[in-house]
Amino acid sequence: MANYEQLAMEVLKGKKKLVIATVNELLAAGEKPLDIINKGLIVGMSEVGVLFSQNKMFIPEVLMSAKAMEEGVNIVKPLLQVGDMQSAGTVLLATVQGDLHDIGKNLVGIMLESNGFTVINAGKDVSPEAIVTLAKEHKPDVIGMSAMLTTTMLMMKDTIELMKEEGIRDQIKVIIGGAPVSTDFSNEITADGFAPDALSAVGLCKRLLA
Amino acid sequence: MKNRVNYKANQTPTMKVLTDSQCLEIVLAAEEVLFRTGMEFHDPQALEILKKHGCLVDGIRVRIPPFLVERALRSCQKHVVLCNSRTGKPAMFLENNNSYFGSGSGTPFFREPYTGERIRSTNKSIGWATKVLDAMPNIDFCMSLGLVQDVPLLVSDRWEFEQQLLNTSKPIVNVVTDEWGQADCLAMAEAVAGGPEELRKHPFITLYLEPVSPGIVGTESCQKVITGAEKGIPTIFTPCIMAGATAPATIAGVLVQGIAESLSGLVLSQCAGEGAAYIMGGVYTILDMGSTIFSYGAPEKDLMLACLTDIGHYLRLPIFGTNGCTDSSMVDEQAGVEAALSITMTSLSGPNLNHDIGYCEYGTTSNLDLVVVCNEVVGMARRLTSGIPVNQKTLCLDEIENVPPKGRFKNIWEAEWDDDQDYIPKDIHANFESDLISRAAFDLWNSNGGKTLTERANERVRDIIENYEADQLSKDVKAKIRSIVENAEGKIPKA
Ligand code: B12
Repeated sequence: MANYEQLAMEVLKGKKKLVIATVNELLAAGEKPLDIINKGLIVGMSEVGVLFSQNKMFIPEVLMSAKAMEEGVNIVKPLLQVGDMQSAGTVLLATVQGDLHDIGKNLVGIMLESNGFTVINAGKDVSPEAIVTLAKEHKPDVIGMSAMLTTTMLMMKDTIELMKEEGIRDQIKVIIGGAPVSTDFSNEITADGFAPDALSAVGLCKRLLA
Repeated sequence: MKNRVNYKANQTPTMKVLTDSQCLEIVLAAEEVLFRTGMEFHDPQALEILKKHGCLVDGIRVRIPPFLVERALRSCQKHVVLCNSRTGKPAMFLENNNSYFGSGSGTPFFREPYTGERIRSTNKSIGWATKVLDAMPNIDFCMSLGLVQDVPLLVSDRWEFEQQLLNTSKPIVNVVTDEWGQADCLAMAEAVAGGPEELRKHPFITLYLEPVSPGIVGTESCQKVITGAEKGIPTIFTPCIMAGATAPATIAGVLVQGIAESLSGLVLSQCAGEGAAYIMGGVYTILDMGSTIFSYGAPEKDLMLACLTDIGHYLRLPIFGTNGCTDSSMVDEQAGVEAALSITMTSLSGPNLNHDIGYCEYGTTSNLDLVVVCNEVVGMARRLTSGIPVNQKTLCLDEIENVPPKGRFKNIWEAEWDDDQDYIPKDIHANFESDLISRAAFDLWNSNGGKTLTERANERVRDIIENYEADQLSKDVKAKIRSIVENAEGKIPKA
């Protein structure tokens, strides 16, 4: 008989197919959808966070776990009551135009997801226009931009300006990060905040949306 | 006189992580990756060249037949020399087991040597850094240790290069922003050398690029490889690989991935211009999950570089190494340990062009105190790796036998020595000497101000900034490079 511990372990090991099977079994046995998420899937993903920060798991494995969890959530989501499960917020992430550094931004995405945020990852080398179009489409609470080059940092400013022109700046918080970026720079371009690493990016989003 | 037969001697200490058989196994695995999986080249000209020479091209995906890799390994020039920019004389022979040392580039921040503040790097900071590098006897080549951020950013690479050209005559590893920056910087180097032909004859710069691991060579990177081959300027090709993130987590897997990428660059360079000088770079390290940094101080980085070096020696390709850097945000004990360990490792295993001296905060902040400290470390490492001659004279048998127990050694340094020994023991300077390292007893040290090594290094930095001047360029050359810098902005096409 399937149980929550087993489900958490399957998430931890990134076993997508097993997660799907176990979630279905638990549902068939009459377990509550919300419990499946809170007592099984999220427990597994939290353990992933711990092992990751201890250098005991690598990014590809974390991504597999995140994927496995997502599959599980997708099954139970339609069964949840309205208001049962709230996303902590939606964050649109992009590495700005001209910049190919995406590892850091992806890590920010993983951390946000494992903390209950919904993340839309727009990839790298994304133009201000493309960011604004995606923002209009997905209506995120936060836009997170990443730049690792002093030359591409300027794109963050351009994006904020374009958001203003398009009249969406007021509805969306903007956060930024990357090696050459700083709090000073964030203030200068009137972003809502800067975070030096993925963990503090989560805290920043929580603060801004509180 | 006695004869020695079948006698083996170490000219220097030796260190190897991999045997030749292991190197070959890794190279063959990389060849398999290049043929089976291939790489992406995001540049039409590169794709055309590769196709013409027999690669299997499918869109931007290129599969490289092993014979092309092996041909490229044979055809690339093994004798790679960089020169002094003022005299044109050879300064570094980047071949065989020779090791040279230099700084790193591209740090957005700079530790101000007077105030200790972490500020954005500027035109002035790069001028200062380059002066310090020029003044350091154990620093052989220069990278900028910063980015000029007090001028329009899109043309800042020309300002950066100008500061380097003005303040050092040592060879420069030139890092640029884009193709227009590359063209301008080449023109500046040609102005200093006295024209393109002179630059080809006495190259004092290299081109520098990085593929995007895993498996992608971007447009600008392709163009740099082609330009290097056409202009006869050595090209450094540096995959920056993170074990467990952009490559497998095992060290052997990282090596296969990195070597495959590097060999793909080599193939492009040889197809673009047979014989082109190609330097195999590689900053292979771990992504530290706790801090999420690309580590410049991890022992795994040093170990992987030693492996890469063994493979480079096996393939007879010059290797671009990484050392003298730290993850610590300050020059503290950790910085000293990481910088010294990495310099010791590179010295023992022998990559040819070793960069990133002066990097703090994993390549984010440059620190000139660290440069001065590392200059000492390189001096010590050079002594460590100088080896000891063992022969009749150096054994000092006569002398030892002539001194009875409790006796005193005569100062035989005055005695005559065979001149067929390349070691001159008379020269006490063969021992490591330094006016920065303290060997003073407490009272003496204390009465001299009781300063730490870092404090003494900082004083040296300021002294150089205030009093040192590199060999100057002529007025005419200065004016030429200035005008390129001033006209740079007009050349960037408007988006
Ligand atoms: C790996 C690397 C690369 C790889 C990138 C691979 C990839 N897929 O991402 C490759 C080899 C492709 C590369 C290329 C180049 N690079 Co590079 N690169 C690095 C390096 C060594 C590590 C970056 C990294 O991935 N770190 C690990 C991740 C996890 O950390 P992170 O990115 O900092 O992200 C964390 C935080 O910053 C924060 N964060 C990041 N984004 C965001 C976003 C938000 C919203 C928030 C809140 C937080 C946040 O959280 C993240 C997780 O904790 C840095 C060195 C450094 N000091 O950072 C240089 C560095 C960034 N690169 C540099 C340079 C110069 C280049 C090149 C121009 C080199 C060249 N001439 O070819 C090219 C440019 C290519 C391009 N157009 O983008 C310079 C930047 C200089 C500058 N101009 O500002 C650096 C600083 C190195 C140096 N000192 O020279 N690089």
